[in-house]
Amino acid sequence: METITLTINGKRVSCLEGKSILEAAEAHGIKIPKLCYHHSLKPFGACRLCLVEDEKTGRLFASCVTPAAPDMVLLSDSPQVLKHRRNIISLMMAEHPESCIVCNKGNRCQLRMIAAELGIGENHLYPMPNYKPLEQANPFIMRDLSKCILCGKCIRADHELVCAGAIDYNSRGFDSRPATLHELPLEESTCTFCGTCVSLCPTGALSTKTDFAGTPERESNSVCGFCGIGCNLTLGIAGNMIVDVNPAHIENSVNDATLCVRGHFGHDFLNSTQRLTHPLARKEKELVPVSWDNALETTAKKLLEIKDQHGPESIAFLGSSKCSNEENYLFQKIARTIIETNNVDNGGYLSGRLLLDLAEERTDKAGRFNFFAGPLSGLEQAEVIFVLGAEPDQAAPVLDYYLKRSAKKGTPLIVANPKKIGLTTSASCWIHPYGSPKPAQNFFDTFYLELINLISANLLEKNAIDTSFISRFTSGYEEYKSDLLSLDQKTSVEKANLDSRSIKNAAETLTGKKITFVVGDGLMLQRYGKEAMEALLNLALMTGSIGYKGAGFHILSKENNLVGAWDMGTVPGTLPGRLMINNENDRNIWEKAWKSKIPQTKGLDLYQMIKKAEEGSLKAIYIMGENPLRSLPQPNRLLKSFESLEFVVAQDILFNETVNIADVVLPGAPFSEKAGSFTNMEGKIQCFSPALPPPKNAKTDLEILGLVAEKMGAPEYKSNHEDIRKEISNTISAYSETAACKHPIWIREKNQLQDNMAEKQIRFSPVTSSSETVCDDDYPFIALFGSTRFHLGSGTRTGQSERINVFAPQGEIEVSPVDAEKMNLIKDDRIKVTSVTGELERTVKVNSNIRSGYIHIPTAYNHNDARCLIQLVPLLDADSSGWDSCRVTVEKV
Amino acid sequence: MSDRSQLISTGEPFKFDQERDTEFERLIKRYPERESMILPALWLTQEQEGWISAEAIAYIADRIGTFASKVFECATFYTMYHLHPMGKYHICVCRTLSCWLRDKQAIVDYLRDEIGIEPGQKSEDGKFSLEEVECLGHCGTAPVVQINGEFHEEMDVEKLTALLAELN
Repeated sequence: METITLTINGKRVSCLEGKSILEAAEAHGIKIPKLCYHHSLKPFGACRLCLVEDEKTGRLFASCVTPAAPDMVLLSDSPQVLKHRRNIISLMMAEHPESCIVCNKGNRCQLRMIAAELGIGENHLYPMPNYKPLEQANPFIMRDLSKCILCGKCIRADHELVCAGAIDYNSRGFDSRPATLHELPLEESTCTFCGTCVSLCPTGALSTKTDFAGTPERESNSVCGFCGIGCNLTLGIAGNMIVDVNPAHIENSVNDATLCVRGHFGHDFLNSTQRLTHPLARKEKELVPVSWDNALETTAKKLLEIKDQHGPESIAFLGSSKCSNEENYLFQKIARTIIETNNVDNGGYLSGRLLLDLAEERTDKAGRFNFFAGPLSGLEQAEVIFVLGAEPDQAAPVLDYYLKRSAKKGTPLIVANPKKIGLTTSASCWIHPYGSPKPAQNFFDTFYLELINLISANLLEKNAIDTSFISRFTSGYEEYKSDLLSLDQKTSVEKANLDSRSIKNAAETLTGKKITFVVGDGLMLQRYGKEAMEALLNLALMTGSIGYKGAGFHILSKENNLVGAWDMGTVPGTLPGRLMINNENDRNIWEKAWKSKIPQTKGLDLYQMIKKAEEGSLKAIYIMGENPLRSLPQPNRLLKSFESLEFVVAQDILFNETVNIADVVLPGAPFSEKAGSFTNMEGKIQCFSPALPPPKNAKTDLEILGLVAEKMGAPEYKSNHEDIRKEISNTISAYSETAACKHPIWIREKNQLQDNMAEKQIRFSPVTSSSETVCDDDYPFIALFGSTRFHLGSGTRTGQSERINVFAPQGEIEVSPVDAEKMNLIKDDRIKVTSVTGELERTVKVNSNIRSGYIHIPTAYNHNDARCLIQLVPLLDADSSGWDSCRVTVEKV
Repeated sequence: MSDRSQLISTGEPFKFDQERDTEFERLIKRYPERESMILPALWLTQEQEGWISAEAIAYIADRIGTFASKVFECATFYTMYHLHPMGKYHICVCRTLSCWLRDKQAIVDYLRDEIGIEPGQKSEDGKFSLEEVECLGHCGTAPVVQINGEFHEEMDVEKLTALLAELN
């Protein structure tokens, strides 16, 4: 593209051909007022404030929609331009209600700012306010369309960025307003309450419904602590409270101008009255406040005592996929070098980390991060996207926006999910089971595995394979090929109740393309998750979809630092940098760095910890930033297992189920009150600084860990995040650039498959098929579990938000219309759901997106009580029924 | 202008009939952007049903692959789309300059007195609805009245009486 030169306000400026005048001006520091323009949205030319005058002809251009042309001579504030601008503002003000003094937008109102800059005070036009009723039925967004200036930012953000299609202009002329379909209330529309429009609205037409009146005293950028996307936030602060959350204006941020309902409105837990602000210790069955010294002393003494008495293997450490890299690093270092145990795990265990471990082991030789598809922005260039077992519109809405935008641009999208999810309407092909589950077959388990095998077999028949990739980078293809050719397709189709047409359709769509996979819990947390993941890797190898820009795997991660906690070694089998514990060379690297011995055998994972506690050989657990008593299945069994422990330390920010049974409670700090870094699901390391100090006596988690180590006789462990970051970057090559951490850093970019793996070989794994599992006839339904977009995980944090609790669905179990009719159920009837492990009573909602034979149970609601239905067995066990679905009976009560 | 806001649900699923379906498929090939098909699709619907229901909006959005809110936007912007069922005979009286000067008001007044409907209304028996519209392009033979798409030129009260008798 050519560079062109033009003159604005007598200043020579240059820009690339195709840029608008406004972009050229802004790039050179020339400020032009505008209300409808936003760099993330297509220019619209609605407000006409960005007028500039062509000096040669006297013509006025709207600079946001006029391309810069060579040798233009323009004035951005000539008398003519100013006259027009004042007129436009005067007209807007004449239609605007006189309510500035009580308007929530206050000093952030862009209309008011521009009016002030142009010196428009008293308006000489006849006031014609266009009153509309105030809409505020929902607890998040207040709509006062009397203040709307029709800039269309909300509509364009809705269509172009979020792809929800909730609003558009209605009617014309003076009546025209942004409104929902059929002018229904926002609550009855397709609005997801992501609040993107609120952040963009230049006036008080859209504002956050809040008790706080006025403008925040200051703002501080941060990284969202909910899901694995890692959105950049701007926190608005007043006094010692976070009063406002908006998307941060950071170039190349993953979320751009968007957020989701959790990110925007779910941060109320930061100011919750349930925050832990004082160390506590159990004295005669009651948790009572104690001094820091006392709490730390008890923790250190007790842990060392138990280590002496029962050995290091009797102590376990549960780190957190929500805590920072630095904290997780220090946490496992304490476990491994002071207590000398590898019994370290984190909440990521619940998100199918075991499968990722296996997948990575297989692709390891190809360079650690080649398996991942990298930046989400790659989705917009993907050739074809295949979404399996993920429900991004609920679990990670910003990922959903990416997928919908790609689909809108014409990227073929295949969705495999038994449930009709939000994305299926954008998909070119939806693969789901047909008919009801057969009584004697748990076919849902086999769904993903069989469909992947079938698609692979179809592609092979069409010879739609990447032969050069296969010969250069893989081994074992011939075996795989003959396995696949001998696959009994008819049986596979029947086993999983699939429709061979939709498989053919999907194979057709995938033919000749590099595939970008998006994989979620639905696939990973079920009985054949491992086999399905292996089959998926085979498919990726066969089509050459690994190691190319944009192609590969996006593993939907529900926790903000799942990848980071893993990288930092808060797992039983690997050290920081994912070095293997059972590999001597790997171990030596860290033994040298830490000047300490590391136990040689893999430690206990989360499930094994519970098992050992039940057996009585585990005596103590140190839990940092996790709430296993709310998040793990079979709560009663868990409670018993935890109560049998001699000593439980909980380091957390909120009073929760786990804190309740702890012997010592150490009050920590959430992301907004400390410094650190998170690694998101893309593999991007983002640093953040504190916006506020921790409340009262709470301390940052890094400080607490340092103090605990000091009490255990290792004062040298006390350090700040910068020192730890240096320690990490010195030894872990993927994190080597994080020491400075001024900008986000990618952990994988250096390792492109194409460049440096000529002789490296990834092995095809044999084709496996599901075995016939006979199920209990007594449990005719399959319950699918899933979170709603309002809650994250088990809802420990989001459940603290009054507005989320009020508005989120009240845990209604969704049943298909067919089953509802069979059981004579109507909306709001109560049903009892029973599984092998427990029972649950909830109200019912009939949903035509649910297939007969299935029910959908939302998690997180009511202390996440739905988890009582699921059995706590390791996923990879043969008798496991998975953690994302189970067999149940349903009866009306 | 009639009420643009309220869309009425029929409770029945909407679908193009065979003829409109073929026409839809013929037309959509003309446009590089599928969304350009919203206006013709709304016309086809109105041609088929006489008006545009909530179900029709959803059907068009689904068929084109766009947001229902966008189809609704177009339907509410253009006054010629009917968002309510019209009378069996929908009477449009031109109110633009030539027809105005040639006393279109006499026609409107007559209809008000005879059938009892104002512009924008429908008679109780559902037989007639009345609308004042902008220029119908027959200024040389003003005033002009259009009934169910058919033009009646150089209209006066006498001619209208005969016409109504015929329709009744």
